[in-house]
Amino acid sequence: MNRIRHALALVAASTVLAASAQAATLSVDLTGIRAAKGELRIALVDANGYDGGAKPVAATIVAAQGATARAVFADVAPGRYAVMVVHDENGNGQLDTNMLGMPTEGYGFSNNPNVMRKPTFDEAAFAFDGDTTVDVAIR
Amino acid sequence: MNRRRFLLDLLSASAALAVAGPATRAFAGDPAQFAAGLERHPWMAGWRQVSAEALGPTRATLEGRLPDGFAGTLYRNGPAWFERDGFRYEHWFDGDGMVHGWRFGDGRVVHRGRMVATPKFEREKTLGRFATLAAGTTVPNPLPIRNNDDANTANTAVTVIGDRLFALCEAGSAFELDPDSLATLGPVTWRPDLAAVPFSAHPLVDRDGSSWNFGSIAMMGGNGLLVWHVNARGALISADVLETPEPGYLHAFAMTDRHLVFMLIPVDFGQGGSFFDRMRFASSRACRVAVVDKATPSKARWFETGFTTAYHFGDAFERRGRIVMRTVQHLDPDEARSPMKAAMQGHDGQSPKPTRLVELHLDLKSGKAHWETLAGDGIEFPLFDARTRGDRPARLYAPTRAGESSSPYFNAVAMLDPERGMREVHRYGRDILAEEHVFVPRRGSTKPDDGWLVGTLLDHARGRSGVAILDARRVAAGPVAQAWVPYTFPLGFHGTFAAA
Repeated sequence: MNRIRHALALVAASTVLAASAQAATLSVDLTGIRAAKGELRIALVDANGYDGGAKPVAATIVAAQGATARAVFADVAPGRYAVMVVHDENGNGQLDTNMLGMPTEGYGFSNNPNVMRKPTFDEAAFAFDGDTTVDVAIR
Repeated sequence: MNRRRFLLDLLSASAALAVAGPATRAFAGDPAQFAAGLERHPWMAGWRQVSAEALGPTRATLEGRLPDGFAGTLYRNGPAWFERDGFRYEHWFDGDGMVHGWRFGDGRVVHRGRMVATPKFEREKTLGRFATLAAGTTVPNPLPIRNNDDANTANTAVTVIGDRLFALCEAGSAFELDPDSLATLGPVTWRPDLAAVPFSAHPLVDRDGSSWNFGSIAMMGGNGLLVWHVNARGALISADVLETPEPGYLHAFAMTDRHLVFMLIPVDFGQGGSFFDRMRFASSRACRVAVVDKATPSKARWFETGFTTAYHFGDAFERRGRIVMRTVQHLDPDEARSPMKAAMQGHDGQSPKPTRLVELHLDLKSGKAHWETLAGDGIEFPLFDARTRGDRPARLYAPTRAGESSSPYFNAVAMLDPERGMREVHRYGRDILAEEHVFVPRRGSTKPDDGWLVGTLLDHARGRSGVAILDARRVAAGPVAQAWVPYTFPLGFHGTFAAA
């Protein structure tokens, strides 16, 4: 149960950015933020990090102040990544779920896969090879 | 309780609600086809999209006189928004909910209606199209949803707890509304961990004023029922998980003074399409019936009984070690998956759905159960006076059909008292569609069945919607008062009366 919660728990853990030689900037444009309160916790992960097997490649926190927000990851090495976002509306450090395990706060993934389960890494993954912007719609 | 059982995967709620994968086929109705059907068959006004997001307040034209001391509001709910961007829902249950208030007092009747501003309705209004998984229609290109409340249409029933009004649907939260303006206040979280857990459409009010209800966890992809108990002031008393031996469908339940009775109809799910496309009532298997002591809502004594398809229950009573529960059996389980489907698509020729009144006997000593058939064919939406003693059967009040009718819907109301062999019917007329009739006790009276029936009507020949008040003890005498507004709006499902 709560696989999404487990996976996204890593989002909550901010880590220091890892720079590399051919690094570039990844911007994440967030839309559909429903409440102008709390924090947006944004994690950049690779395949190992997607299901919690490794720390995020990078993570950041942006205050939720309107329907949209932007996060920027600088010095990202080329690679295949996914972005996972949790809107921690009440600031308790986690994606809240109800007793059935259904999320009751906002979340989103890169590529915005329209699936009724946690997307697979392949569904959320994108190739990063230079300055890029990805859009994530918070559901 | 093992919560792991409940979740097959993330958001299984939405998966259970509708499509198993991306929609590739649209089985929508065609607005033009419906409009053409309506042109030929004015009774289809009962399934025509409402003309505006808000109606009224409108002072209704009163025929007759309101009974002395009769004051309060009949609240009703029903699907009302069926079309967007050239796409029409094909299933009646999919329409977004509109709540109506018929306010009685000071010799006046005032109607008001307002769409429930659910996240779904608001989002789709902005988008200009339907974009949400629906219960009975395959909607193309649905947007991702956070949880089941993003698909909540709040379109089935209303309840009043204390002085708070709630719009209800079986697959999500209750939405609280302002009882005067009907403006939407938002979904109710009775306890933080219970956010978005279904609070279904047919709560029952106990003698102490508290409300019992259930939420189907099976509908969320798991197994079991959540049993809700909310006090008369609207505070949660308890929420218990009742595990069930196998998934089953239920829309409502019944109760005695001591017990809650949940009947699970066996169902199978096929592949593809919406929830109601995939669901099949499994008539070869038995219904399972949970008898739950109100003192221990997480525990049930289970009975098995012959397969029956039923949405709505009448009363239940308990005497000599036996619980007897009344319900309306749908004799065509397949049709019951999509009532009035032809009308939703603008097609005529649908015959009235066959139903009959049946009684389930649960022998608490032997553990055996059996059905008996009562006199009462062709009814639905049975209600009764909840003040009836707990050890005897109640009179039932329900819409029915009588004589010639221009539509396949109800055109009359009946009082049924099978035990005493009594039946009274008032036929409204050929061109009137008659809906649920709510029992309202006479002010100052404590005698069961001493009161009024308040039921809504649609007069398609004269293009008006209305409400009737009948003396419950003289149903055949017809209404003592009727009130009409000079417009129609689609038929609804269920209502409740809040005395002033």
